[in-house]
Amino acid sequence: MQENVAAWLSGSPAQETAVYLLGNVPGLPPIAQSLHILGIAVVMSSTVMVHLRFLGLAAPSQNVSEMIGRLMPWTWWALLTNAITGLLFVVARPNRYFFNPVFGWKFMCLVPAVTIALIIYRMSKREPGYWEQTAARLLSARVMAAVSLVLWVGVVLGGRWIAYTDYLYFLYE
Amino acid sequence: MNEETSVPFPEFWNWVQALPLSEYIGFTWWFPFLESLHVLGVGLVVGSILMVDLRLLGKTALSVPASRMTREMIRWTWGAFVLAIITGTGMFMTRAAAYIENPAFQIKLALLLLAGVNMAWFQFRTLRGVEEWDTAPAPPLAAQVAGAASLLLWIGVIFAGRWVGHII
Repeated sequence: MQENVAAWLSGSPAQETAVYLLGNVPGLPPIAQSLHILGIAVVMSSTVMVHLRFLGLAAPSQNVSEMIGRLMPWTWWALLTNAITGLLFVVARPNRYFFNPVFGWKFMCLVPAVTIALIIYRMSKREPGYWEQTAARLLSARVMAAVSLVLWVGVVLGGRWIAYTDYLYFLYE
Repeated sequence: MNEETSVPFPEFWNWVQALPLSEYIGFTWWFPFLESLHVLGVGLVVGSILMVDLRLLGKTALSVPASRMTREMIRWTWGAFVLAIITGTGMFMTRAAAYIENPAFQIKLALLLLAGVNMAWFQFRTLRGVEEWDTAPAPPLAAQVAGAASLLLWIGVIFAGRWVGHII
């Protein structure tokens, strides 16, 4: 599957545009990467803080459903920013990413982490205080928070390792 | 590194990067390992500071007293900062002489220093009279300036930090 995506992107106008932008806009690669890291910082201060709050590790005085409503919309904007800045590099050199298993591992962490964030946000939005109403709900929120924290660490570490492992899979240009 | 370098203590930086530990980090998987932990640490440092800065600007979390937001976040800021310093030092050691000459690295250090001064000033001066504006929707100008300065400085630290790797 990923071979097809890589083949489809290779030589496409989208790839040519991304390569042109990265090569010709002064400072674009570090600017896009810095924005990507800023996006990570925003996820850390929104969804990750909510998880830490559920586990009793941060912001003990703040109400958890108020935190969810206040902070988690920031996560969606950060994810949008990171999708755009990340796609720039993926589209420019698709083989480098789609043949790199670490890129796959990053998304195997990212997809469930975002799913957990959406579940926590949607239920709390529909019914404020949802996660605190019963012991079972609180426990499930805590389990999801603990799993999700590990997943987010995996996303960040995986993201950084993509660039260090791609020489092992030099199937690209 | 050449003789007429403008960086002080050239012998020291050469000595640092010739240490067995520096060479070990530089030639093994330890460098990317430290770098990925560095991103994690930086994300938490800037993320936790961002929350305080936006509160000081009167933009978010107005239901949370400013002093409490500061107090609750600072533990995470410091913990993550220690992680970032340790991992950053580990990476720096591998090519100390080159990093110390790298303009992006120099700018990053200067911005970190300014962010530290701003934080200390806020902690020891502005926060002293916090009782008067702790729950006010608009914190006083001094607190807003501290929040805005911190926000810009830390965004600058991230940009300069990412630029280091593009120059070296």
